[in-house]
Amino acid sequence: MGALDGLKVADFSWVGAGPRSTKDLADNGAEVVKVESSRRLDLGRRSPPFAGGDRRNHDASVFFAQTNTSKKSVTINLSDPRGVEVAKRLVAWADVVVENFGPGYMDRIGLGWETLQDIRPGIILASVSVAGRTGPMAGFRGYGNSAAAWSGHCDMTGWPGSEPHMPPLAYGDVVAPMMLTVAILSALEHRDQTGHGVHVDVSQIEAMVHVAGDLFAAMPGDKPANGDPEMHPHGVFPCKDGQWIAIACETDAQRTALATVVGSPLEDHTADWDIGALEAALVAASIPAAAVLDGKGLSEHPALNAAGHFVAVDHPMIGTAKMPAPPYAFSDTPCHVGASPCLGADNAQVFAEIGLTEAEVATLMAAGALA
Amino acid sequence: MTLLTGIKAVVLADHLVDFGGSMLARLGAEVILASAAPVTEARAKAWHKGMIRSDAPLVELLDGADILLDDRRSDPRAGVDAVAARHERLIHVIATAFPGAHRPMTDLTLMAQSGLMHVTGTPDRPPLRLPGEQAYALTGIQAATAALMGLRARRLTGRGQRIALSALQSAALANYREAVMYEHTGRIGTRRGNMLVRGKSGVRQIWPCADGYVTWSMIDNPGMMRALVRVMQAEGAAGELAAIDWDAILVADTDQDIIDRWQGVVAAFFVQHDRKTLADWSLDHGWGLSPVIRLSEVRDTPQMKARGVFDADGVPGPLFAVHKRRGS
Repeated sequence: MGALDGLKVADFSWVGAGPRSTKDLADNGAEVVKVESSRRLDLGRRSPPFAGGDRRNHDASVFFAQTNTSKKSVTINLSDPRGVEVAKRLVAWADVVVENFGPGYMDRIGLGWETLQDIRPGIILASVSVAGRTGPMAGFRGYGNSAAAWSGHCDMTGWPGSEPHMPPLAYGDVVAPMMLTVAILSALEHRDQTGHGVHVDVSQIEAMVHVAGDLFAAMPGDKPANGDPEMHPHGVFPCKDGQWIAIACETDAQRTALATVVGSPLEDHTADWDIGALEAALVAASIPAAAVLDGKGLSEHPALNAAGHFVAVDHPMIGTAKMPAPPYAFSDTPCHVGASPCLGADNAQVFAEIGLTEAEVATLMAAGALA
Repeated sequence: MTLLTGIKAVVLADHLVDFGGSMLARLGAEVILASAAPVTEARAKAWHKGMIRSDAPLVELLDGADILLDDRRSDPRAGVDAVAARHERLIHVIATAFPGAHRPMTDLTLMAQSGLMHVTGTPDRPPLRLPGEQAYALTGIQAATAALMGLRARRLTGRGQRIALSALQSAALANYREAVMYEHTGRIGTRRGNMLVRGKSGVRQIWPCADGYVTWSMIDNPGMMRALVRVMQAEGAAGELAAIDWDAILVADTDQDIIDRWQGVVAAFFVQHDRKTLADWSLDHGWGLSPVIRLSEVRDTPQMKARGVFDADGVPGPLFAVHKRRGS
């Protein structure tokens, strides 16, 4: 049994910010039905890398597969009013509706917060957007860099005195879905205690502000780069063969041990070391130190693989591939990471579960409403 | 925010769960900070916000508690397991730096192992971390998540449970691209500064303007390019860009020297205008441009003020907005 067994989620979200949250729920036992359409393909299905390099196959994106583990997929054309009626049946089935559409889209198609409550009293609506659903930027349409620019992250990334620096990934698409998962789970707790649903409204900018809370409290005048107000040495140092090691000393005992193992000045001496040997020597001396890993090092990380961080999952199109698992392990309700769905793979089962007959499904499919 | 009213949590903090405990407090839970490794005043202000400090014995604090966030970045506190085991309904989240084993780690060394530092920064300088304490923050959010999932599971089973959480996994999970790109293409990411590389060419992401910087990229979006060039034409600044059929070219397949020439025209236009003017144009015309807001300016942006993101202490407060049902 998973921690979220019995929880039903109608997931209208796409790309990264919504789907990473519903992956958290699905991997822990929730039944997450991903609402997609071949008429408006999830851009995640078009995102590399592709199994076998087949970018035209909408079931071959490994990016999509990693972001949508353990879910089901149905195809509903939300630009067709008959499709919207089917979506309403799914809402009536669900405990939680998740969406990250552009501003006002849910209202325009007749699935706004007020309507959802009429369909399913006690329902939880979970929205994630760049700036939030209220305020002067409620209509803002942005992309990966926008949240970094508006939150202070871009200003604080880089070396002191340098121009602002963009993070090398859409970090808002990482932290906002994590915040969305917390929002959904706390809204469920609230509903279980009061019987009332709520609309939780997560902003990528705000999520990035929160994870920089220490910077807002300290308000440094320039970029901290690899420095730290408490620890020294605290930085990245060269090793042989172009490798780098991160070293951070918290105590005098660690600083003394570091001088014994490596010598001083640090930069001059670390460059003579093989990265693996230096890391092992420093860890043996109880000094916080770790090699700076690249994608290969991350993929092959012994401790991560031993811990089940990457789970080998069989996918009908991709084959066996490693998928990331949640970073926590429950003693009594373990998670289970299953394959991501092929487009519309669960149409028959889900449409039957929400009360459509086979004849109705066939008619709606032929009409393009379930496509 | 009162979503977790009635929930009681106890926190033993050593950097990994601090923010998680604070998150539960900001959601309305009663959160007792029973012990905490020393942190700077600023970090305490951010990561311990909303928690109530107590020197009472753990055995006393756990009476009636739903959640224990037990941070084992260093060594476990003596006797915690035995005390926790007495409480059948307790959700006991145990956070370690490495999964299942003790190894001395800090935020910096966790970020080094996440694969993110390797791709952050410029090719001519050492790997760089993201600002702040991101590995700790990510682990804190996962600690809160695990605790809330434990609450949900308790409704199913009637019992609490132990939940093992690792900071290394929390940090690695944030890197959604590097491992999978290596596994499926053999490519290893590198530090590219502010250059966004697609296909055979790279484009800028950061541009100086009259009062700071903006972020914008010349990507393959013909509608966006036409919208930008229209305004540049109206301002007499479009130059050769006015003659380009954006539907007929692929920026990703265009030679770098041509891209650089085109970017020079855009750069000369941006530098003539301030962030607000450019951001307003972007909002009106759909350029996908954002002003780069300085850290010291974020609190006073109209959006942050309208949403009540920052409290009077200057630190962010509510984690997200909550809109209640009609009539409540």
